[in-house]
This record gives sequence, structure tokens and C-alpha cells, in this order.
Amino acid sequence: MKKLVVAALFAAGVAALTTAAFGSSKSPSRAASAASVSSGAVKCGSTRYIGFMAPITGPAASLGQTQVDWAKYYVRLYNKGHKKSKIKLVPEDTELGGPNGTAAAVQGAQALGSNAKVLGVVGPAGSNEVKATTGALKGAGLGFVSGSATNAAIATDGTRTGYFFRTVPTDDDQSKSASAYIVNKLKLKRVYIIDDQEAYSIGLADSVESQLKAKGLTVGRDGVSQQLSDFTSVINKIPQNTQLVYIPWQLPPKGQAFGQQMKGLGRGSVKLMGGDGLFDPAFSGVGSNVYDTFFPVNTKDKRIAGFKKLHKGQTEFFGAPTFEAVHVVSAAIDRACKDGKATRAEVRAQIKKTNIPVKTSLIGLPINFAKTGNLKKHPFGVYHSSKGVFVRVG
Amino acid sequence: MNWNLFFGELVSGLTLGSIYALIALGYTMVYGILKLLNFAHGDVYMVGAYVAFFVLQWLGGPLNTDVAGWLAIAIMFLVAMLACGMLGVGIERFAYRRLRNAPRIAPLISALGVSIFLQNSALLLWGPNFRDYGTFDLINVKSYRVGANFLISNIQILTIVTSIVLMIVLTLLVSRTRTGKAMRATSFDREAAEMMGISVDGVVSFTFFVGSALAAAAGVMFVILFGQASPLMGFTAGLKGFTAAVVGGIGSIPGAMLGGYLIGLLEAFATGYLPGGSTYANLYVFALLIAMFLLRPSGLLGSPTIQKV
Repeated sequence: MKKLVVAALFAAGVAALTTAAFGSSKSPSRAASAASVSSGAVKCGSTRYIGFMAPITGPAASLGQTQVDWAKYYVRLYNKGHKKSKIKLVPEDTELGGPNGTAAAVQGAQALGSNAKVLGVVGPAGSNEVKATTGALKGAGLGFVSGSATNAAIATDGTRTGYFFRTVPTDDDQSKSASAYIVNKLKLKRVYIIDDQEAYSIGLADSVESQLKAKGLTVGRDGVSQQLSDFTSVINKIPQNTQLVYIPWQLPPKGQAFGQQMKGLGRGSVKLMGGDGLFDPAFSGVGSNVYDTFFPVNTKDKRIAGFKKLHKGQTEFFGAPTFEAVHVVSAAIDRACKDGKATRAEVRAQIKKTNIPVKTSLIGLPINFAKTGNLKKHPFGVYHSSKGVFVRVG
Repeated sequence: MNWNLFFGELVSGLTLGSIYALIALGYTMVYGILKLLNFAHGDVYMVGAYVAFFVLQWLGGPLNTDVAGWLAIAIMFLVAMLACGMLGVGIERFAYRRLRNAPRIAPLISALGVSIFLQNSALLLWGPNFRDYGTFDLINVKSYRVGANFLISNIQILTIVTSIVLMIVLTLLVSRTRTGKAMRATSFDREAAEMMGISVDGVVSFTFFVGSALAAAAGVMFVILFGQASPLMGFTAGLKGFTAAVVGGIGSIPGAMLGGYLIGLLEAFATGYLPGGSTYANLYVFALLIAMFLLRPSGLLGSPTIQKV
């Protein structure tokens, strides 16, 4: 027995040493490889590779899927219209909202950084993912353009200036639109705000709370975990005279569950308002008491009709900024590749110079970036659920 | 005193407690007989929820059920309980039976392995996305107001009543039937029970069947109440069911019921009244577990174990 124990301990020790040796021999060269990839010029072949980070699986998969659909749609249009060059997306699943936090996003960022063919990245989707992946993407010299990360601070804290850009207005813009609509159009006096404890949600909730209080409204505040499914105890805390509950959450299934549980407890007449993270049929389907903030998509654009045709008449707009994010990165790569080769630094420089006019932009806004990486023009629209579909009302 | 809030949290607590009590019963029954903590139990609860989802889809989905909504729910319960009962028997047969006489750590590790296996199998087979049950499309969810401050919905009533009925059936099964007598005898002294002609393997299999069926019932109740299931939903629920079993007295059936309701009420009232309650409700629940281990390790209704030396 003693011999067995000793043998087992010895084997474990050898295994540990081997792993450490193997790991240490791998990690410097992997770090070195990402660094050397970041500085080296890549020959621009007929196929250009763009990293694509989205929540393809996990609790936010419904949002991620819309981003995938719109990104693939852009690639389809581009490849159809260009004979000499093609785009290919290199996907990485970030599993936003999953039990492992941002671990999957970081791994994906590292993989893209090590892939010499990738010259720019679209994504990631969540503001917390942008924060987590900055080290890996910046370390690899990759510019990254998000179609949905709206937390205001991630562009203004200076940590990723020149690397991070976004084709969507910020939560500051979103909070202004939400507060103005609540005060001026709905003319409400008592609002209850519940965040989901994530960076995006807390930022937006804080901003709306302070704006509403400044206008003299009575504002209650609470927070729930993103993993929670039973909201009845939280709903019981909402004062009976509350007129609107603001839930700037990231996961549409949770927004849907909350709305349904509100109804189940006889609170179905209370208005609900979500942020762009809840701009999804699951949330709009809750009922006509539902509102949401989202950017002003140009719904008459021919490309939207084309998208609808491809997706059996279904259309949703959460992924539209991702369409433009792919547009930004692919156009930047094309410009950088004019001399037949490009570095990631050149692509980043070209992303900064992006100038897509409003007529060409799918999102109803011109796409040109300020020094922070934010859009220069950036209003948010307000939508109301009518027969299960969001319709713009403000 | 905000009576609206008080009664609201009371109803939420009792509803949630009903679910935890059913999960806790499975833990306590298995521990009572085998002295094994079946950590896969929470994932059996998850499988029950998914079985109910697929039964609902087979019946036509929440909008187009081939039968009335309440009948669809009854069928979901029956099929899920039967399927998970069989799953429980299978788990015992292949993961625990051979380890019955091994050191206690062995079946515990095996139980953790089964839990991870079930979770990842669910992820692989059914994907990580939430499944929506469309409860509001399936049945007409209504709230009833009693007096000025007491509000309860029909699905909350269904949950509480169903769990009480199941607990009564279990209590009668254990106390009034031959099989129940065999279960109690095996729990008291396995070797002596075997010598008296009781088929211990049969009793253990039956215990796993009943415990898993109750977990499945809890899973179905959860998804009817809250409308959604995901492959990882069993983990926290299982931990809370385990906590309830320990708080009530592991091995004690009335203790598991009491522990379940206590945990549910603690969670609801912590959310309603304590600072940061919504965010830290789990903290309070597991703090109770630690306190119980320190102050009364045998639980509220458990009896201290006397070991003859």
C-alpha cells in the first residue's frame, strides 16, 4: 500500500513537472508569436481574414446569432460585389453571460492574436468582454470594432484608445434618450430601476437614475444576478405605485422571464423599459407595456429587404451595427492592402479614417470615429412593442 | 409594516421552498439508506425540466397543444417523473452500486463525476441556450387577491399544493407500506435487513427511483413557474436542495421538507428585507448552512449519530 502511494505521488510529481516545462516552453513562444505577428506585414492575398467575436452560444446566443447573421450577410454582399478579393470571417465564441464569465472571450482574443492572417477584429459584443480582451487584442496589435458594446467608459478611460472602435452609440446617449422619453413623452413620476450586476447594466442604470432624479422623479433601485430565474421576490419589492420598471439587462430570455413574472403577479400594467441588450422579439413579445432604446436603423434600406428575403421574412436589427462593423474593418483592410501588403497597425490607422456617409450606413447614422473610438454622431431611438414587434416612437 | 411585501415574500418563499423541499427529499432518502450524498441529484432535476420541455413540444408546443393546458402539464409531470426515476435507477446501478462497500470518498467522487457528465451531456445534446416553456401561452395564468394585501397566482397554488401532495404520498409510502418498512429497515441497519430477507439492491433502486422522480417533479414545477430551463440550472438548485436536507437533518424526511421551506423563505425574505438581498440571497442561504454545521451538525430534526466503540 505504501509503495503504491509513493508511486502515485512520484507519477503526479513527474506529471506536474512535465506540464510546467511544457507550459513554460509554450507560453513564451506563444507570447512571442503574438508579438511578432502584430508587427509583421502580411501579404494581402485574394482572401482577407477578419476575426469575429460574438456570443454564438450561451445565454446571450439569441443576440449573438443576429450578429452572426448580419456579419455573414455583409460578407455575402462583399464577396458577390468584389472579384479580386474575398472576405472570410474567423469566428470565436465568447459565450457572453455564461458561467465562466469572460474566459471564453479572452481565449478567443488570444487565438485571433496568434493568427497571422487576421488583420482586424469585429467584436466582442459585451462591454465587460471588451475590457477583458483588451490586453490580448492590443498586445497583438489588432484593432477591434464592436457593434454592441455600449458602456461609455470603455472608450474614454484611455486604456484602448486607437485600438477600440464602435459602430453603435454609447450608454450615455442611450440613457439620455431613455430619460428624456420617460420624463417628456410618458410623463411618469415613479420609476424603479433594476440592473443585472454587469458593467453594461450598472453603468446605464446609474446614468438613468441620476438623470431621472435630477428631473424630480421618485426612483427606486435594485440589482439581480444574471443567473437568477426567480424574480418574484424582487418584483414584490417594487412599490405598488411604480409606473415604469427600467431593466437595462443583457439577456433577452431574462427580460422575457421578468416581464412574464410581473404579469403573473398582477403587475402587467406597469410599463417595462429595456436597453439595447433586450432589443429582441423575446422581450417585445411580453406585451404592449414594453419599451426599449435602440439606435435609429434605416428600415427602408434595400439591404434590409435583402436580409429579410434570406431569412424567410424574419428581420431584426440588433445585428445591424455589426454589419457596419464588418464594413468598417473590411474597408480598412482594402485601403491598407493597396500596396499588396498590410500590417495590423496600418489597418488600425485606416479604421480611424473611416468615413461612411449616412446614405450608405445601415444604422441611420454616419460612421466616422472620434479620437476615443466613439461615433461622432450618436443619438438613440426609443421603441414601443406593438403586436409583439418593436416600432420606433421617439 | 408593509403587509403587501410581507405576504408577497411569504408566497414566493413557500413556492420556492416547495421546489427545494422536493429536491432535498431525494438527497435525504439516499443518504438515509446509503450514507451517500448524491451530488448528481440537482442535474436529475435539470433533466426532468428538459424532458417536460420535449413532452410539451411533442404535444404541439404551448400555443397549439393537442390537449388542454392543465392536462398537458399533468402529462409533463408523469413522463418527466417516470423518465428521471429510471435515470436515477440507472445512475445507482452503474455509478454507485459497486462502490457501496468502498471508502465514502469513492461514491462521492463518482457522484460529482455523474453530475458533470449529465451537465455536459445536456450541453452537447440540447445546446446552452435557454428553452422557453411559454407558460403564459399554455395556461391562463391568473392572480387571486385575498383581502387587501395577499396576492397569489394559480401556478403558485399549483406548485405548493402539488409538492404537499407528493410529500404526503411519500410519507404514507414510507410509513404505511411494506416497501416503506423495508426502506426504513435498510436505513437502520443494512446488513441486518439483508439477513432478514430484504432485497437491499431492490430497496436502494426503489429509493433512487422515488428520489429522482421527486427531483423531476421539482424541475417541472420550476419551469412552469419561471418559464425557462438551461443545462446549468441544476447546479445551484442541487446545492440549495442539499443545504435544505442538511439544515433539516440529513436522513430525516420531515427534516428535508422543513429545511426546504426554511431555505425558500430565507431566500425570499432576505431578498425583500435585507440590504443587497436580491444580489446576496445565496450568501445568506449558505451562511445558514455553515451556521447549522457549527451549531447543530445533525440539523433541526436529525438525531446525533451514536457510534459504538
